[in-house]
Amino acid sequence: MSIYIHIPFCSSICTYCDFCKLLKNEKWINEYLDALTQEIQEKYNKEKVKTIYIGGGTPSSLSLENLKKLFNILKIFNLDNQCEITFETNSEDLTIEKINFLKKHINRLSIGIQTFDKNIIKTLNRKLNIDNVKLAFKNFDNINIDLMYGFQNQSIENLKQDLKKIIKLNPKHISAYCLILEPNTKLYIDNYNPVDDDKERQMYDLIVETLKENNYIQYELSNFSKKGYKSKHNLTYWNNNNYYGFGLGASGYINNVRYENTRSLNKYLKGNYIKEKHELSLKENVQNEFILGLRKLEGINKDKFYKKYKFNIKDIEPVKKLLSQNLLIENKENIYINPKYLYISNEILLNFI
Amino acid sequence: MKQENIRNFSIIAHIDHGKSTLADRILELTGAITEREKQDQLLDNMDIERERGITIKLNAARLNYNYKNQDYIMHLIDTPGHVDFSYEVSRSLAACEGAVLVVDAAQGIEAQTLANVYLALENDLTIIPVINKIDLPNADIPKVKKELVETLGFSENEIILTSAKTGEGVKELIEAIIERVPAPTGNKDDSLRALVFDSYFDSYKGVVALVRIKDGKLKLKDKIKFMATNATYEITELGFNNPKPQNTNILECGEVGYICASIKSISDIKVGDTITLENNPAKESLPGYKPMRPMVFCGLYPVETNKYPDLRDALEKLKLNDAALEFEPETSEALGFGFRCGFLGLLHMEIIEERLEREFNINHIATSPSVIYKITKTDNEVIYIDSPAKMPDRQKIKIIEEPYIKTNIYVPSEYIGSIMELCQNKRGTYISMEYLSQTRVNIHYELPLSEIVYNFFDKLKSSTKGYASFDYDLIGYKPSDLVKMDVLLNGEVVDALSLIVHKDFAYNRGKAIVYKLKEIIPRQLFEVPIQAVIGSKVIARTDIKAMRKNVLAKCYGGDITRKRKLLEKQKEGKKRMKMVGKVEVPSEAFLAVLNIDEEK
Repeated sequence: MSIYIHIPFCSSICTYCDFCKLLKNEKWINEYLDALTQEIQEKYNKEKVKTIYIGGGTPSSLSLENLKKLFNILKIFNLDNQCEITFETNSEDLTIEKINFLKKHINRLSIGIQTFDKNIIKTLNRKLNIDNVKLAFKNFDNINIDLMYGFQNQSIENLKQDLKKIIKLNPKHISAYCLILEPNTKLYIDNYNPVDDDKERQMYDLIVETLKENNYIQYELSNFSKKGYKSKHNLTYWNNNNYYGFGLGASGYINNVRYENTRSLNKYLKGNYIKEKHELSLKENVQNEFILGLRKLEGINKDKFYKKYKFNIKDIEPVKKLLSQNLLIENKENIYINPKYLYISNEILLNFI
Repeated sequence: MKQENIRNFSIIAHIDHGKSTLADRILELTGAITEREKQDQLLDNMDIERERGITIKLNAARLNYNYKNQDYIMHLIDTPGHVDFSYEVSRSLAACEGAVLVVDAAQGIEAQTLANVYLALENDLTIIPVINKIDLPNADIPKVKKELVETLGFSENEIILTSAKTGEGVKELIEAIIERVPAPTGNKDDSLRALVFDSYFDSYKGVVALVRIKDGKLKLKDKIKFMATNATYEITELGFNNPKPQNTNILECGEVGYICASIKSISDIKVGDTITLENNPAKESLPGYKPMRPMVFCGLYPVETNKYPDLRDALEKLKLNDAALEFEPETSEALGFGFRCGFLGLLHMEIIEERLEREFNINHIATSPSVIYKITKTDNEVIYIDSPAKMPDRQKIKIIEEPYIKTNIYVPSEYIGSIMELCQNKRGTYISMEYLSQTRVNIHYELPLSEIVYNFFDKLKSSTKGYASFDYDLIGYKPSDLVKMDVLLNGEVVDALSLIVHKDFAYNRGKAIVYKLKEIIPRQLFEVPIQAVIGSKVIARTDIKAMRKNVLAKCYGGDITRKRKLLEKQKEGKKRMKMVGKVEVPSEAFLAVLNIDEEK
């Protein structure tokens, strides 16, 4: 079983972010952690936990005291020996005190850097403390760095600089995402202009190429790792497996039901956690299997598919058609997207909708 | 009602001169509607009419008015203002003895003002000239009066000034109608002759026909006969619009109303036909029935091929309300089964398309409009074709002729230059020009109809800041140096995109079309070449580059639900696409030729 825990609080709000987030406030954090405890106790069924991901918001923005409280809550879980525990951070929070504390409780650190360009950082309303980042690298082995590309007027040269700096840090894992303008974000309202499709693709290809040259393995559309350092937690999602989502706005997938928690702090504090529940039909389940599974470069395992659904993946009409068109490729174990078409994978996925 | 106390009249005007608003004021003042029921432009029933501010279909309302202690009933028959619908205007005028000619106090006489006056004169109507919108700050009443007197020969004291907006002058107008428009002249004791001037389909009542009793009378349960088709029916409902439908037992000589007779077969009723009684038939039918000839043709195809029967049903129902619409089955290699449809003009075509979408919810594809070409083959056989697909081999053609029109273009004189430039670019031949006043002219050109069909209106509007008005008459066929141009997508001819074009224009048009298609057709998984060819000669080419990005970005935990919605939305967008060979083509691509700009 995998567990996602959402900490919605942030010290400042990034201009592109449309996740569930709140400016932090000590009183709320206290009440929130209490409600979180309640929610976990109500839903969690003592399953063995193989991965935990603490995301946000900005979990690292919590004070040391609140962090202690948070990790006390995690004692409820029945952890597997090898349990991967990831914690999301921003560089400005990575003080020696917090690093020393986190070291005792987690084994994977994710640092949101996004870019090293000072002007872009300012536009995004973010901060970067490079000394803290270096300190983190001295203390953790398994680190993910988030990289973002596709900023307004960003040049290929600019992206090359970002890549160079990240590679120099030598993280075990890199997530690279194109900036997306979401409605109700400051950038969107300000009529920010992201790069066009051709430029974006050029950037994506550059990232894939550069990281490959530097011994990173691309295992998902936007995720790259050194050998043996794939994100086990995120693979849970992409393998369409079950996970609990706890916290404000979190979502989970348990016993064939996908649920989403409320984004209203008030409701959450009152114990009305769930906003929506939806039991999946077989068709929806299989569709999700493709939407998620084909994000992985290795694709979907044919045997596992059969064990899960009791029919052959190759009996599905669109699969036959897409294989014949060479849009999907088959090897001994798996069916996967022809890498040429990975960045236009929606065109392939639409065949399943 | 005594026949001498009946008045039947139409309001005629150039589009936008305030005809429908004036009709509303008349309805209000005669108490046909109360303030509470007021909904702007009551006689315009269709949503499209209200939204576009145009009248397409006729409508007839009965009004009651007491004048000098006498009760009168008046029938107001609304008319469309657009040149495409002049047949409907002439039918409605045939049901009247008088016409109110509305001219905008700021705009003055326009192309359709004149066209409508001629129609009214042909029908021997008494015309009451009205200058409307006198409340406008830029109204120039003396100038418009002068135009009416000098161009149309009215005397100044005949002219009534109104503001449909404020209601000023409307009472005076109503009384002028009673004073000046003659009472109906028919003989109430003769055998029945009723003119059908419109019909529409009502899903409860079946076919409803609007009629004017010219002679005799019509009662409930009468057995009637349509004289053109010989079909017979029993009257199941009689009534008039006040303006809401009101049943009655009898329509008397001179009156206007509607009839229902369980008429299910749409082909049995023809606008312009005469109704008489089966057991006491009139000897002669009323003059005036002539079938309308469509001038513009295009293919209509369902986007989803299984909707073909729905499209046929919809066209049949529309035809009921719209006698001018013609259609016959047609097959396209690219688009499958569809219909070749004939329309009175471009606006008519647009309206039918819009009604298909709105009233029948049918996603369809329209191909580029075409006119009827006359082809003399080398063996001297003469054929008429309404579609590029029917064009014979070039070797077998001796002469191609195309329909020509003569224009009336009314425009402020400062735009004479722009109009001439436009008409020259459209292969026009200058005929003459008349000054209506010192600042306004009527320009006559001879132009191929196909050039009118092809973005003429838009150009006219844009090159005269919307000041020009335009009307035309068909003058017959003339030989032209025309060729068929095909468009290839991904190396394959798309028959639905073929068009007939003048040789001198082929290169520019071909170039414009391929670039327009490049704009409209989204990128595909692979690169798609677009070519315009004449015979086997490529005259223009461009490529649609392969798609570079269409991907769900971040996809963690809860995102799957949102991502699914995104994909579902994309899927919905694909429904507007037609697979042509391996290429997904949006339906609007088939009309690309209409919206191209060759100067680019």
